[in-house]
Amino acid sequence: MNVSTDKKDFWEDYNKRKTWDEIIPGELRPTKEVVLTKEMIQNFARIVGETNPLYFDEEYAKKSPYKGIIAPPNIHVLLMFACTDINDWMREPGTINAGQSWFYNIPARPGDKIKLVCKCLDKWIKKERLFAIHENVFYNQDNEVICSGRGWTIRPR
Amino acid sequence: MGINCAYEDLEIDKQIIGEEIFIKKELPKDFAEASLDYNPLHLDPSWMDKTNFGKTKFKGVIVHGMFTFSIITKMITDWLLPIGGIHRRLETRWLKPIYPGDTITPQAVIFAKKKTIKGNWVLLKVRVTRQDGEVVAEGESMEEFPNNQ
Repeated sequence: MNVSTDKKDFWEDYNKRKTWDEIIPGELRPTKEVVLTKEMIQNFARIVGETNPLYFDEEYAKKSPYKGIIAPPNIHVLLMFACTDINDWMREPGTINAGQSWFYNIPARPGDKIKLVCKCLDKWIKKERLFAIHENVFYNQDNEVICSGRGWTIRPR
Repeated sequence: MGINCAYEDLEIDKQIIGEEIFIKKELPKDFAEASLDYNPLHLDPSWMDKTNFGKTKFKGVIVHGMFTFSIITKMITDWLLPIGGIHRRLETRWLKPIYPGDTITPQAVIFAKKKTIKGNWVLLKVRVTRQDGEVVAEGESMEEFPNNQ
């Protein structure tokens, strides 16, 4: 995956995306494996204002308890889009993020081959709004859990 | 196993204040590039003007909720990592939209400590406030202080 060339137009394949009616709780969303690079980690960290040398300074990170550069825990923000395709329903224009919860097990590192297993857990209607919960678990190449999380979204259609 | 001194020293009601952040006009675009989240909610003002979100009202493009999540994460890890803690969990709810031009500040306060068989845990209430004092996001985090070997 190349961050700079990834598809930016969320209207592309709009009609191929699942609407709220078509989302089936429990059904896995298609995903793809992504190799996490130092560039992806550092670009993401910089934009959110991170300055911790654990994310940027190889020599500092080697001497730390982490023994090398790691990604900030919230790297899953990038990985969720990196590991899914343009027709994934989380790209639906107008999807509103109402809340998220994440548990962090081990840090992601440059060179990790990231796998995502994700699905809708539940969907409901409240005050005329269409809600869906998405559940996501990220694994590395050794099938170790990096982090797992849930998000509550309001669906536009 | 030895006690974790950093954990023992932490007191209930200890506050952590993050950096005040001014949201520049270009921030949603920059965050979209970094996160690959190109939802027009964050990028297309004309689409925002003409789109009906039902009971939810917006006055223009909004900042990614996960940017706010990220500045809470930074506040926590900037405090936690130097004292040997591990960031284990963060849960947030977004209460109000944030717009370019806003200034936001993350804060946290320790409200509970808990020892388990293998670890020492600290629970924090987190929130993000806007320049007018309005709380725009809130939640909880959970941090681990491993027992010294």
